[in-house]
Amino acid sequence: MTIVCVLLERFELAVAAGLRPTRLGEPAALAPELGRELFVGAVSQAAEAFGIHAGMRIGEALSRCPRLALVPPDPIGVAELWERALARLEGLGAAVESLRPGEACFDARALERLHAGRIVTMLAEGYLAQDGSERLRRVLAGPRIGQGPTRFCAFVAASGARVRRPRRVAGAAELAPHPVELLRRRAQTAALVEPLQRLGIATLGDLAALPRDAVADRFGRPGLLAHDLARGQDTPLRPRQPGELLREALELPESGSGEQLGRALGLLVDRLLARRERRGRTLRSVVLSARLVEGGTWRERVVFREALADAQRMRLALGGRLALLPAPADTLELIVERFGPPDREPRALFDDGAARRDERLREAVRQARAVAGPDAALRVLEIDPDSRVPERRVVLSPFDPGPAGSGSGSR
Amino acid sequence: MSPGPRRIAAPQPATVQADSAGIPLQVDGRAVDAVRETWLVEDRWWTERPLRRRYWEVVTHCGRNVVVFRDLVQRGWYRQR
Repeated sequence: MTIVCVLLERFELAVAAGLRPTRLGEPAALAPELGRELFVGAVSQAAEAFGIHAGMRIGEALSRCPRLALVPPDPIGVAELWERALARLEGLGAAVESLRPGEACFDARALERLHAGRIVTMLAEGYLAQDGSERLRRVLAGPRIGQGPTRFCAFVAASGARVRRPRRVAGAAELAPHPVELLRRRAQTAALVEPLQRLGIATLGDLAALPRDAVADRFGRPGLLAHDLARGQDTPLRPRQPGELLREALELPESGSGEQLGRALGLLVDRLLARRERRGRTLRSVVLSARLVEGGTWRERVVFREALADAQRMRLALGGRLALLPAPADTLELIVERFGPPDREPRALFDDGAARRDERLREAVRQARAVAGPDAALRVLEIDPDSRVPERRVVLSPFDPGPAGSGSGSR
Repeated sequence: MSPGPRRIAAPQPATVQADSAGIPLQVDGRAVDAVRETWLVEDRWWTERPLRRRYWEVVTHCGRNVVVFRDLVQRGWYRQR
């Protein structure tokens, strides 16, 4: 098996700073997202020289390097650019697993034949950044490419590779001289690095040489995983399912917060559910994001308890997340990440007149939309009814007649 | 992405003749009979796009009740209802 790892070091920092990571010559670190725990994110090479690493407390990082520049994170930009990179890899036919932005792995066995054995060379020569915007080219240029029999071997190879020079790590013997610090990149094993170093276990070879029972006794399940990784074993890849992207965004004329933001969210939900591309499917998970007035962005992934196509329930589920928004927003965006099965309309228990009227109304709206487009049936939505500026008080949004059998929809 | 939400009561450009004090005399060619009310709206003064409007509610010669405003930033007249 040949696993290929594509590694863009400090990807999140590069996106946030808008520069190629190598140009980040100053000590810099990604600041924590507003309202989140106070740990720094990716750090520049200059910051690493001070002993600062991702996941360190801000206080400790600043005490190690008082002139450390904290770059505000841009989770929306990171998600957009990384999605494009993954789409490019999937365009090659790869079934890609992405552990985090900037790091992707795929099994290259079948693809080698498809691309005449050139796939690694193509990636090393900058395939990801080709034909993209200036920003895309800047951020995706110069990936490090590694190959190995497992995901971890490929990652270790990539982290030691130079730009345009793919590298291979064949197994446990070649992993042995590498530092245990590399375990920090796996969420399950990141916390083991410091205790291992304190115990004098500096390399993966030292770790692999320990008795498995002793590792299990001292570190439990994460320890066993780390031991497996050090011995050249890893769990199978879990590639993501490529999907279509459906998004709606709303610019807020005034910096939005509180009730006004709730109304804007309602409007976004209506518009998303009215999109023709949804084709009657329910929504399984969505991403709610915002550009903040003070600069920076905010992003929250919401997986519904069950797949939904009901605007009211979606508003309830998403409304609570708005409270987590750390500052007033300029733009609010809702993206469908994964669709669920088609919406099966429940049948009415009693066939009364209201149900028939609702059914006729839904059919009328459907026919009107088929003829005149989604704007054929609209409803008046109050955005900021008490505003002194008349045009900010109400807007027209897509009319949602509600699910069949509900008796009434939003009118 | 679908087109943005349509706003209701968006301002429409209007042709207004006013006296030296800024009081409307004619709105879209119709003489003003009476000024019923006037008020000032100032908003977003803390941003780079401040909003400053002097509103006038007037009754024209043909009996229509019209609300117009003078945009004190962009220097134009608009009708709004």
